Amino acid sequence: MISTRFVLKRLLLLVPVLVGVASLVFSILHLSPGDPALTIAGERASEEFVRQVEESLGLNDPIWVQYGRFLADAAQFQFGESFIIQRNTPVREVLANKLPVTLELALYGQLIGISLGIPLGILSAVKQDSITDHLTRIGALAGISVPIFWSGPLLILLFAQMLGWLPTSGRISVLYNVEAIRVTGLVTVDTLLAGNWDMFVSAVRHMILPASVIGVYSMALISRMMRSSMLEVIRQDYMRTARAKGQGAKITVLKHGFRNAMIPVITVIGIQFGGLLGGAVLTETVFAIGGIGTLLVEAIKVGDYPIVQGTVLTFAFLFTLVNLGVDVTYSVLDPRIEQ
Amino acid sequence: MSAPPEPGDADADARPALERAAVRFRPVGTAALAGALVAAVWLAARLVVGDLSASVETTFALGSLAFGFGLLGWSGAVALGRGIESMQAHLDTGTGWTEADARRAMARILGFGLGVMLGATAVGSAVSAFVAAA
Amino acid sequence: MSTETTTTNETSTDVDQRGLVDRLTASPFVSRLLSNRLALAGIAIIVAMVVIALYARLFLDLDVITQSQLGTNPNRAPPSLDFPFGTDGQARSLLPRVAYGAWYAMLFGTVTVAASTVLGVGLGIIAAYYGDVTDNVIMRTMDVLLAFPSLLLALALVAIFPDDLGLWRAVAALTLVYTPRFARVVRGAALTVLENEYIDATVALGAADPRVLVRHVLPNCLAPITVQSTLNFGLAIIDLAALSFLGFGAAAGTPSWGLMLSNGVSQGLLTGVWWWSFFPGFFLALTVLGFNLLGDGMRDALDPRMREAVD
Repeated sequence: MISTRFVLKRLLLLVPVLVGVASLVFSILHLSPGDPALTIAGERASEEFVRQVEESLGLNDPIWVQYGRFLADAAQFQFGESFIIQRNTPVREVLANKLPVTLELALYGQLIGISLGIPLGILSAVKQDSITDHLTRIGALAGISVPIFWSGPLLILLFAQMLGWLPTSGRISVLYNVEAIRVTGLVTVDTLLAGNWDMFVSAVRHMILPASVIGVYSMALISRMMRSSMLEVIRQDYMRTARAKGQGAKITVLKHGFRNAMIPVITVIGIQFGGLLGGAVLTETVFAIGGIGTLLVEAIKVGDYPIVQGTVLTFAFLFTLVNLGVDVTYSVLDPRIEQ
Repeated sequence: MSAPPEPGDADADARPALERAAVRFRPVGTAALAGALVAAVWLAARLVVGDLSASVETTFALGSLAFGFGLLGWSGAVALGRGIESMQAHLDTGTGWTEADARRAMARILGFGLGVMLGATAVGSAVSAFVAAA
Repeated sequence: MSTETTTTNETSTDVDQRGLVDRLTASPFVSRLLSNRLALAGIAIIVAMVVIALYARLFLDLDVITQSQLGTNPNRAPPSLDFPFGTDGQARSLLPRVAYGAWYAMLFGTVTVAASTVLGVGLGIIAAYYGDVTDNVIMRTMDVLLAFPSLLLALALVAIFPDDLGLWRAVAALTLVYTPRFARVVRGAALTVLENEYIDATVALGAADPRVLVRHVLPNCLAPITVQSTLNFGLAIIDLAALSFLGFGAAAGTPSWGLMLSNGVSQGLLTGVWWWSFFPGFFLALTVLGFNLLGDGMRDALDPRMREAVD
């Protein structure tokens, strides 16, 4: 059983992670060539106005004062207002609107990756060196070779433009007003909660292509790890004994072996969640889904620093949370680990 | 700010807490001292050349880069350490990675960064106090 | 590689007198590689891309490729005999643009991989040779860098470099992203080499540190370094294109695959202009596949002891 104390201790790790990321963001912003005051004021602003903006941002204070203030603000997730992208809107608000979009995409992508990757990996391991095994491995290699920003457009052209089976872009048909029924911000959930079946179908149809594109990456990685991990388990002595005893015992042991084989696979799932967020940046761009991935890219381009800070910290927060979840899962799979 | 507390070790062994803390923080302290020294010497050299306030800013920012990096690495090692160790044991791709090694290395880096930040702060405030007095 | 490693060292005077070709074909690594059909397919793809890249660089006029051809050519024409890959929104023929993209991919891919190889080799060998605290600090730093998702790390680094550097900004960021991978491989390989007794003998004979590193450790790490470079070449090309695709690379109008794809997505998808996305992406994916096939084959051809270092 997992103790609450264990989970709390793990959650405490979020503090150093976020202080670390905040320090990194702070240093990068100070080392990068842009001038935030000039960005806000605009290139043609008077010198006096630029100085005023500098004063209001506290840029004239000693750097250690700025650092302390930055950490204190970050601790409250308070990054001020967006400079440019959504002028005068608090960063928190902007992020709260965009975060569920990326989260939903990543969740469904991961769901596809796990539900295809694990069975394929097991199949590949059990039928080692068969045609199935080779096809799976070549498929995984191809999945990694084809960039998202090519497979995405091709799928859109094929399924949306030529066949007309699925929509081209966006999260839901423009006929529907999702904002009116917003609860969680996840369209597939909100439409269900509202009990509107047509809207739900529209949301799912919009999700299929982007989630598949992003899921193929996860699938490739997970199936590779599952295969090698499962091979390792199959080679162990107790599996040989079980095989000698006959089919019934074999199945029992496969079940037991699966539990053991899952431990490294779960680590991979956690670690590559970061890659998934990177993939989300590209996928959101291809499918015109405005999540925090495209928000980050846009903010870096135009120099909207408050947004950059907020987005990066959100990414770090999510990544750590997922991996702490992974860590807790170990204890469920193998209670000995907790000691 | 010192190295973050280590969750999970509180009841791990019976040595006196002070002694254990001394052992644990020694690498961090040494690295911090080195960092402060480097920052001070570097800034003293910059003082001769010219624009000091910009140099203090850059030095502090570089220090916070090392500090943030080390802190992130440290917590990463603690959070993911068991998983990565067990993954390597399962897959036999031993690169000799251990959580303890990683934590120690990161403690040095974050200590150094902290030292640089403190050194830059000290030099910076000393100079501004001097300027204000003059 | 360990078998030919030891032979090359024991008979180093002998080796120098033989020609390069003889040496290569005699190597079990190369013969194993050449018997792998998938790796051969990879080599064929890469050679074809290099030929295209060189042809484009030497014989195509960059001005005609980058400047608008409105009025001269049909606008947005689908593929035809005159324009095999069709034309884009400024009536430029896509075939020469895609071909020139091969030159950019090869050029910037090579620079990225070469620079990170040099940095990684330096760090990896130093870590392996000096061990202890040096090793620990260098390699754990590399681990943390490796733990960041590569595209997100590249985006953060791109922000540091001034944006008038164009594609070189992406190259600089990606070099830092890729260095840890090389450092890790080189350290692993160098440790394997350092375990060999003859290094101890050399040190006992009084050879200075740098000499041991350059004369003995480095040559024996070449095979795993080459494998890692090949595997990462494909990834580097994708990441460079991804940065251009997101708008952090090539300047507008440059015939880079990433930029052409970005154009195809932002302006071609809704209108069904499939050739803007299809051709640049096809060449990009094909090139990457070539490097991945060759890299995988090379890894399989490596000596098992060295293979462990490359993952």
